[in-house]
Amino acid sequence: MDVKHINAFVSGLLNVSNMLGINDIKRTGLAKNESLKTDNDVNIIIGLVGDLRGNVVLSLQEATACNIASKMMGGVPVEQFDLMPKSALCEMANMIAGNSVSNLEQAGSLVDITPPTLVNGRNMISMISQVETIIVQFAASEGTIAINISLE
Amino acid sequence: MSKDSYLSPFSLATSDVLKEMLDINIDGSETASEGDLFVSQGFIVVVGFTGGWKGRFFLDMSSETAIQMASLLTGDDYDSVGDEDVIMSGAELANIISGNAITDINNSQPGLNIRLTPPSVFAGDGISMFNVRLSSSSALMQTNIGTIKINVAVEGGK
Repeated sequence: MDVKHINAFVSGLLNVSNMLGINDIKRTGLAKNESLKTDNDVNIIIGLVGDLRGNVVLSLQEATACNIASKMMGGVPVEQFDLMPKSALCEMANMIAGNSVSNLEQAGSLVDITPPTLVNGRNMISMISQVETIIVQFAASEGTIAINISLE
Repeated sequence: MSKDSYLSPFSLATSDVLKEMLDINIDGSETASEGDLFVSQGFIVVVGFTGGWKGRFFLDMSSETAIQMASLLTGDDYDSVGDEDVIMSGAELANIISGNAITDINNSQPGLNIRLTPPSVFAGDGISMFNVRLSSSSALMQTNIGTIKINVAVEGGK
């Protein structure tokens, strides 16, 4: 996996977060995915097809997801992770993927994205692709967010 | 195009692949319309697609069915759905099914040029899937290893 591809997604996430008013977000870590288990109960998958083929998954906890949804809706309190915050999070993932894909295009790779699918559950095991997955972690006052990038 | 015409190439591919690879017969099948929320039986594989159709395909079953299916594929016994072989078997099966379905669709409707993403697999408790403004249809297939459910959603599909 090429570092410039990873960077396209990192700046995609940072750009969109800033756009949505999540201003204190910072990159906190980078890791290879070693385990199938995930502690995050909200995962939003977007598929990539074209010059690059793979999946990108935005992964976070329900509480963080509610905080972000609240921020996106101008501070309206969001206590339950129902359809409204789910839509908001899908929209955020879509914006991040769109932003990242335009970064990739500037770097010379043409990529098309699938519509986002949000997966919500407990005690989850996940495998994003049959190939290596890179996880980039971020922290903001809303909570922590991870972006899992898996490219063939 | 009706929602069923999106679903039927996938239904056909699922029954063909189950029969040919695993010798599983479908004893009964029914279709259902779903809203934007899909509740999983415990083990779900997601394959996305873009091109002339934009959307995603789900292959869904219980953890027990996933374990039995993996055993049929590899000949080994597994005790947990978290076993890498079980996850990989589910991913591979969904990959083959959606690959066959998309090849059929692309051949019969030249110019669509649909392409697939790699499969992702999720297993756990109380899993639900959500798509914004994408309504979908399911086919429930009864087999001797349990109910296998497929679901297809296409953007702009009515």
